[in-house]
Amino acid sequence: MDALLIVFASGLISLFAAFAKKPWLVVGSAMAGLLAAIIVIIGQLQTGKAFFDFLKYEGLAFDQVALLFSLAICVLTLLIVGIGYERFKENPVHTGEYIGLLLFSATGAMIMTAYTDMFMFFLGLEILSIPIYVMAGSNKADVRSSEASLKYFLTGSFATGVFLFGLAWVYGATGTFKLQEIQLKIQEMDTLSPILMIGVLLIMASFIFKVGAAPFHFWSPDVYDGAPPAVTGFMASVVKIAAFFAFLKMFAFCFGRGELYDFWKGALVVMIVITLFVGNLSALRQVKFKRLLAYSSITHVGYTLLLFVSQGDVAGTLWFYMFSYGFSIVGIIAVAIAVNDSEDRIEGLRGLGKRNPFLAIVGIVALLSLAGIPPTSGFFAKYILFSSAWENASWLVIIALINSGISIYYYLKVLVTIASPAEQEQEKIKLSPLTIAVLTIALVGMLGFSFILPFLY
Amino acid sequence: MALLLFILPVFFALSVLIIPKQGVRAYGIIGSLAVLGVVIACMMQYNNDGTVHLFVNQPWLAGITMSFGYDGISLIMLLLTAVLVPLVLVSNFKNELAENRLFTSMVFFMQLGLIGVFISMDGLWFYVFWEITLIPIFLISWWFGAPERKAALMKFFIYTFVGSLAMLAALIGIKVNAPSFYIEDLKAVVFTSKTACWLALGFFLAFAIKIPVFPFHTWQPDTYTKSPMAGTMLLSGIMLKMALYGMIRWMIPLFPEAVACLQWPVIILATIGVVYGAVIAIKQKDMKRVFAFASMSHVGLIAAAIMVWDFDALSGSMVQIVNHGLVAVGLFLAVEIIERRTGTRNLNDLGGFAKQAPKFAFWFAALAFASVSVPLTSGFIGEFLMLKGLVQFDMIVGIVAGTTLILGAVYTFRAYQLSMYGPVTRDQFADLHWSELLVLAVIIIAVVILGVYPALITDFVNPSLKIVLETISTPSGL
Repeated sequence: MDALLIVFASGLISLFAAFAKKPWLVVGSAMAGLLAAIIVIIGQLQTGKAFFDFLKYEGLAFDQVALLFSLAICVLTLLIVGIGYERFKENPVHTGEYIGLLLFSATGAMIMTAYTDMFMFFLGLEILSIPIYVMAGSNKADVRSSEASLKYFLTGSFATGVFLFGLAWVYGATGTFKLQEIQLKIQEMDTLSPILMIGVLLIMASFIFKVGAAPFHFWSPDVYDGAPPAVTGFMASVVKIAAFFAFLKMFAFCFGRGELYDFWKGALVVMIVITLFVGNLSALRQVKFKRLLAYSSITHVGYTLLLFVSQGDVAGTLWFYMFSYGFSIVGIIAVAIAVNDSEDRIEGLRGLGKRNPFLAIVGIVALLSLAGIPPTSGFFAKYILFSSAWENASWLVIIALINSGISIYYYLKVLVTIASPAEQEQEKIKLSPLTIAVLTIALVGMLGFSFILPFLY
Repeated sequence: MALLLFILPVFFALSVLIIPKQGVRAYGIIGSLAVLGVVIACMMQYNNDGTVHLFVNQPWLAGITMSFGYDGISLIMLLLTAVLVPLVLVSNFKNELAENRLFTSMVFFMQLGLIGVFISMDGLWFYVFWEITLIPIFLISWWFGAPERKAALMKFFIYTFVGSLAMLAALIGIKVNAPSFYIEDLKAVVFTSKTACWLALGFFLAFAIKIPVFPFHTWQPDTYTKSPMAGTMLLSGIMLKMALYGMIRWMIPLFPEAVACLQWPVIILATIGVVYGAVIAIKQKDMKRVFAFASMSHVGLIAAAIMVWDFDALSGSMVQIVNHGLVAVGLFLAVEIIERRTGTRNLNDLGGFAKQAPKFAFWFAALAFASVSVPLTSGFIGEFLMLKGLVQFDMIVGIVAGTTLILGAVYTFRAYQLSMYGPVTRDQFADLHWSELLVLAVIIIAVVILGVYPALITDFVNPSLKIVLETISTPSGL
């Protein structure tokens, strides 16, 4: 709760700081707020005490797991604000809005990690989504950005409608919004009511939409491509963490009863397979960097969905996976921002090794981590994910492994483009100290996260 | 002490990046010699009782353990790595490549991966290091290889990566039944022979692609030809040996139940590879391709001999692993020497160098003899023991595999004769540079010493092999 308030407050402060027309002031207050939130969360994880304990609102419960996910959200938001700063400050009038909106969206994400009733969940979802609709269109001069914004808004609000519709069915079947009571009611039912089943399916559809899995993935390449890179990074990392954890909580906790599980598992398994193949096969022939990233992210959603059919410490696995995925996304997005190719071609990355060796190393490590090649944390995360799913669905894991094999092609293609020399001499890329600091954190995260992890447990 | 095996390569790989250009050559060689020193020190400490000496053993994350250690088999592989890396660097001495910081750094990363493979006693770490080796070798070949290398290298990377994924699937499959990835825990799992076959197949796919066993070899000749000389040396000298080592250490001890169903198919495929590689090598024009196929033929024989899973055959294959590592590096250096001076590897355009470069002719001939395993070279001991095992296993397989001795002589001496004898084709052909001479001499001397006194290897390896063999029942019982 403390961290939530801090992030919200610093969002407000950065909005007002924008009146000074000094971008560094905005970014400074935002980063200070996020840092404070991170420190508070770590403190709360260790002591178990919150300062604003008296504000205990029933709809939100920041337990250990919710705190861990909030931590991931704050850290990744911090990194993304850091790498996005160079772009945001190009337009000093609006810097405050961009960064403020990012922070508000992060607030929504944190609410989604801690919700205990569906009402709060819906609020969190909306607080998360609406700023992103705006952010996706923040590049007003670019037609594609406006297109992305409109597309995301229309389809996104439609998905929200579907979610509400499903929620209404579930409410009809159980008569409550509270997670615990829903779970209890479902356990007590003699036979599952069809009303509930319809509701669960509709909720699942909206979830699949929000994380961008096939067959509801069509918005994501366009939106990823059109939105400013930092927003793309935010969508690929923070939004996914929140959506995945929130729905995992809902499905594993509320809808986990045997027959119901078997019911939605069937639908989900089919979608996992489709998602993996659609994401990978479409990515093979992409020539645009961010579109490639979008399809690769669809594939990663497919891997992550395996968690819904796994057993063991599912939340912990999700946390580790999304965290390490987030680090790679930060690295990749930083490359996209620094290269600043208006046409966003993969070929534009050619010669990056000469233009800025550090950036090239970050990019290469990030790609290796996305592809799941040891010793990056992406590999360990993928391994833990797959091994937790093996018992329940070993054939799905094998399909996922085959897809890892396919995906290596396009990651490798980008990787060698970065490593190859350019035809003509290109100007060097200068990185600001802030970007270098953020990238160093991301690099350490990608290479060393899995090595630090045992000490955190 | 043994931790230096990790620390030194990482240290040199990173520090070489900030060394001034003139110093890179010497720095690389000093670094690789330092690693060699550590390996020798480890060998001195090892009391040769055949057991695995763990120097780190701690539980880590999600059932993965930090278990690193070595026994006789690992030590011989480590020694091979530690000897070959300085040889590769020295043989590059005259090239501009040796000045390249990135190149030297990648060689050290490669060494790190190889060392890791040989001392990991934990399934997942084995996999991790196995994959780590892939990236530096890919980048070395990508950056410094022949102009039309790209398609071949993509194929190489994807091919081997997909093979490794099969191994990962098998590892996950076995881990589900075991408390941790520690090798003894994995060995303790008992499977029905059907499951064991599937899981062992996952391992075999990864190894078969790396070795390469027929019909998984299609990446190999192109990758060898398109890689720079150092890359080819690393690939054929050490990287193939990872897979052979993996068969001895992991595949069969983990799935003894699978030997029954895999033994025949693997031996047949490997034997086909022996003959197929040799026959194709005879017809090649490109000298590097000759030795690429030759390498496939030689390692096919080792793979077949390992699958026989007989004490003598295993012992012989360890000798042959060392021998092939040394000889392959030497042969590719010989090709490189010719290419450096004439700009071509096409056998039809070459000839007559024996007159112009007698020193080179002598050492190349010695290498050719070592390659065809004449007595008094270590290849003889190795091939003799392996063929003995194969003949005992099945007479026909033994005879077919035995043709390698004849075919090997044909392609090796054909390449030698076409390049060294005949009418003089070039106005001048400079004789060996001291760095080239050094590498060739070290290799030949080592091969002859091991040929006269193979106990240097077998004394080290045999106790460990005995233990590996004892942990599973004899093949006749399977």
